[in-house]
Amino acid sequence: MMDNADIRILLVDDDQMIRDCVTAYLEDEGFTVHSAASAEEALESIVSISPAVCISDMRLPGMDGEEFISTACRLCPAAGYMLHTGIVYSLSDELRAIGMTADDVLLKPIHDLSKLVDKIKRMAASGRCV
Amino acid sequence: MEHQHRLKDIINFLPDATWTIDTTGTVIAWNRAVEELTGVKAESIIGKDNFEYSVPFYGDRRPILVDIAITPNQEQERQYESFSREGDTVEAEIFIPHFRAGGVYLWAKARRLLDAAGNVTGAIETVRDITELKRMQEVMIQTEKMVMVGGLAAGMAHEINNPLGAILQHAQNIERRVSADIPANLKAAAEVGVSLDLVRAYLQKRGIFDFIGHIRSAGMRASEIISNMLHFSRRNDSVAESVELSALLDRVLELAGTDYDMKKKCGFSRIELQRDYAPDLPHVQMVVSEIEQVLLNILKNAAQAMADPAMPRLPRIMLRTGMSEGVAQIEICDNGPGMVEATRLRVFEPFFTTKDVGVGTGLGLSVAYAIVTKGHSGSIDVKSRAGEGSCFTVKLPLQGRK
Repeated sequence: MMDNADIRILLVDDDQMIRDCVTAYLEDEGFTVHSAASAEEALESIVSISPAVCISDMRLPGMDGEEFISTACRLCPAAGYMLHTGIVYSLSDELRAIGMTADDVLLKPIHDLSKLVDKIKRMAASGRCV
Repeated sequence: MEHQHRLKDIINFLPDATWTIDTTGTVIAWNRAVEELTGVKAESIIGKDNFEYSVPFYGDRRPILVDIAITPNQEQERQYESFSREGDTVEAEIFIPHFRAGGVYLWAKARRLLDAAGNVTGAIETVRDITELKRMQEVMIQTEKMVMVGGLAAGMAHEINNPLGAILQHAQNIERRVSADIPANLKAAAEVGVSLDLVRAYLQKRGIFDFIGHIRSAGMRASEIISNMLHFSRRNDSVAESVELSALLDRVLELAGTDYDMKKKCGFSRIELQRDYAPDLPHVQMVVSEIEQVLLNILKNAAQAMADPAMPRLPRIMLRTGMSEGVAQIEICDNGPGMVEATRLRVFEPFFTTKDVGVGTGLGLSVAYAIVTKGHSGSIDVKSRAGEGSCFTVKLPLQGRK
């Protein structure tokens, strides 16, 4: 059983409110949480952070979440990726190609963060992105 | 004589229902189109007075447009949906609910008839059935509203979901930060010299945990509304299945029977259910959960409308399936209080509701409309008569949802 503290998470969202509340919950669960306000900022640090799980907002200033995940997957293929979006979204072919499924798309607002915790644990155990 | 015969031929040729009266109100001409529209033959009405011509339309004797062309009558003029007068000519539109099943929209035009000396000799009226046109206009207006609300909903969802997420998630964070399960909480409590148990006991005593719970459920309710509104702006990604309508309807009835609101507030079990399913219907391609939502919404509205224990008759819902021209059809009719025309015209409008605040958001039927028309290339409409009941018809092309 992996200790939550060993699971590093990178959270990308331009809304500080969302970064704060998700980070608070995940840290209480013992995870190690890093966050970034843009795709560009996240790409600078993703290799050194080497997260097990990366959760990105869809609509970001500059590069959007879709493009970010495609790029990040090449830099950091060991991580699993989730897309956090406010409107219903169907996965692009690129994201399907790197193994993402509808299950990896999180609809905003997340009503119950404990469900996110379960997903993170599952993802950290399997470690995807091909 | 020859001249009269030719005139009669001309008036009979006219495609619009047309008749004339003299100044005593006696019918002097009644063309073939009005015979077809009303079912009243010329020979049985020509020569009759005392507003005989209003009977086939209204079921009683009253001044109608042809009379107003001779003598203005403000009381009658107000009864029309629209009325205008220009010189000798008057024009009006009216909906007559009892003229035919489902009612009929008529457009009418009438004009005084004058002799060579300019004396009034009578009046002529012509009437056109514009029901189909009106229905098409309704659909167009409805579609336009949906497009507008769709754009609004997508924009709103994006702006509101983040703050809503913060409300929901921070409420959850507050709950967690007073929990004794997290070591950091115990540590912080010890640092400031309080016992977490006492903090929890205090919060419990003052009902604060309940308040937090209420914040979360209110947030979820708001989130539900937003996600419902998103139906207006997109077709979602859900997978369509091939479904047998009878089984679907039975399952929806079962769902309705177990739904808490339906059971407790609407007394769904009191309602007599009649099923008239056509045998051997082909399967229909649909997103099951969505069509279930549509049918449940219709049933819920029917049940709510019939929840009044003072209802004069045994509440009944009739479900019928059928098929015509490659389109499957589901009819859900109740014998509840029905709706007035002004309500009927607006039932699919987002946020329109006749229910009390908190009982209905006014989204149920508008979401149903979006699901059926946008999501399944079908149609949904409603016929209703105040005091008699309402009847919803959902039409789904077999392959409407690929």
